[in-house]
Amino acid sequence: MTGTSTLRIAWRNLGRNRKRSVLALAAIALGQFIFLAVAALMHGYMDEFHGSITGPMIGHAQVHAPVWLDDRSIDITIDNVTSALDAVRADPSVEHVSARIYAPVLTALTEEGFMSFVVGVDPASESHDDGLLPGLDAASLMGEGRVLAGSGFARRYDIEPGAELALVGQDVDGSIASGLFTVTQVISSPVDIVNNLGIVMTLDDAGELLAMYDQAHEMVIHTRDLDTVGETVARLSAVPALVDLEVLTWREIVPEMVGMFEMVDVMLLVVLGIVFVAAAAGIANTMLMATFERKHEFGMLLSLGCGPSRLARMITVEAVILGLVGVVIGTALGLGLLLITQQTGLDYAALGGASDSYEASYKGLHLSSLVYPRLYASDVLAGMIAVFLTALLSVVWPIMRIARMEPMEAMRL
Amino acid sequence: MQDVLVGASAVTKDFHVGKITVNALRGLDLDIHKGDFLAIVGPSGSGKTTLLNLIGALDTATGGKVEVFGQDLSGMSRRERAELRLRSLGFVFQAYNLVPVLTALENVEFVLELRGEDGGRRATAMSVLEDLGLGELADRRPNEMSGGQQQRVAVARAVAAKPRLVLADEPTANLDSENGESLLKMMRQLRDEHDMTFVFSTHDPLVVAYASRVVTIRDGKIVSDIRKNSGEEAPGEGVEVRRKGTEPPGDGTEVN
Repeated sequence: MTGTSTLRIAWRNLGRNRKRSVLALAAIALGQFIFLAVAALMHGYMDEFHGSITGPMIGHAQVHAPVWLDDRSIDITIDNVTSALDAVRADPSVEHVSARIYAPVLTALTEEGFMSFVVGVDPASESHDDGLLPGLDAASLMGEGRVLAGSGFARRYDIEPGAELALVGQDVDGSIASGLFTVTQVISSPVDIVNNLGIVMTLDDAGELLAMYDQAHEMVIHTRDLDTVGETVARLSAVPALVDLEVLTWREIVPEMVGMFEMVDVMLLVVLGIVFVAAAAGIANTMLMATFERKHEFGMLLSLGCGPSRLARMITVEAVILGLVGVVIGTALGLGLLLITQQTGLDYAALGGASDSYEASYKGLHLSSLVYPRLYASDVLAGMIAVFLTALLSVVWPIMRIARMEPMEAMRL
Repeated sequence: MQDVLVGASAVTKDFHVGKITVNALRGLDLDIHKGDFLAIVGPSGSGKTTLLNLIGALDTATGGKVEVFGQDLSGMSRRERAELRLRSLGFVFQAYNLVPVLTALENVEFVLELRGEDGGRRATAMSVLEDLGLGELADRRPNEMSGGQQQRVAVARAVAAKPRLVLADEPTANLDSENGESLLKMMRQLRDEHDMTFVFSTHDPLVVAYASRVVTIRDGKIVSDIRKNSGEEAPGEGVEVRRKGTEPPGDGTEVN
């Protein structure tokens, strides 16, 4: 038997009580829209967060001397860093690797003194998209006493290109370290320590200042495939040049961030649950009322020899159409919002009533209130599947009523 | 002897309303023959609709035996009864006869689809409507038709699959005399031309006037069974056969 009539009847039945159908559609569409909007904002926020973590901040994996992560003392170093870097580069799955030096220093600018942080990097290794200095011709701006200053740091202390900074700290041997450096450019970075405290200089300059020769505090690795980073780390851990060091994936380095991502997934599931309930309420109410109102009609159809399964199919198709139309409208609204906001971004601060967007830091990441919503096909699909399942669930009771319905009893009432 | 399509013997039907048992049918015997244009009459609560429902496999008897086309309905499952209704019976109800969201043509076609008929359903449905002079109603939905037109389309739907037996429960109850008579003429024509058998449950004297056989039920029992052309006397107990302003039917039969 073809389903032509079933589809036709189901579709037309939705027009019998238009107000009720429109209300149900609105509930479903609103649910899907809210889910997509929340998912897009969360993804926008978390993808940027994730991109920053696995990008310039942590990378996909890192190599340190043991206990560096716990202590972060200047004298816990990777020695023979050149050969260690070569060993890492030799792994075919490694795309980029760069060594970094970190050291707190006191900075003097004319008559002012303040706390800052030296970040020693290899400009050539940090200029890729996920590096600390993406797209910057850093090599021409750094070296031989020329440094970059983080934008927050520069703004706070009125540091401009050309400013001379006198740095004083402790070198790797515990002696006084000092040097005079000239700021060539102010840079903005998603890594909080660079943005708000950072004086970025070449590894050579940092090594000279801190007496760290062929040494570094960490090596940041970007692999060709983030999904297989665990295997890469396992391989690297066995390399002789690295055997005395610890090689960790980003998940091992910032487990609290991993927990946060998982929490966001759970939150999205909760929102999806709310969509589920809204859709269920809309569809179930419509279908129950429709079943009750059409009892006589169902009795007549049963009398003609129409099987309860056919009636059940009719009701189910009706519910599924209602759900799918609602979800398509909600998806269109969600995509509309995405289209409008993905270029300009959406400012949380403005949504909260503030006149300016703000910047904040969390767990070493520099965050902006400006979010660029991002949506995945899986989000749309999740909403659709949720509504589809809801539609099926919401007709269970009407179908059970139909299955028990005796034609003459239904027609008498 | 004419072919017996329906055989009911010693049929009883009890309904339970709370703690009270209502004996709707009390040992009823009836044979319905091929070609009958049979009116079941009687006062409200006499059991005529109950009898029609039993014959139509819409309900099951409490006792006795109902055979339709030689099949004992008491041994049939719900599914088998539905299948019998679909394949061999046609139904016309008093009201709410049509699927409101389908046009006249689609309503007729729907029954053919239920029967699993594929290619040519639409053409068959259209030809049934045209044969009954309802072609111009094909694209109208029930709410765009008068009560009379709806009932005529319901008859078209009932006979579209050429059932051997058509059961009609108070088919003229909501119609005026003119529409009622037109409907009856159409059904009698179908009986004559397509060898169908019609059974009516009715209060309407007009239906009685058109019937070839009138079975009167009172208190769940048959009190008279008159075959008009057989020479038997017509029932005389309070059966008013003529509606005010209605001419007697044209088959020469007049019932007093």
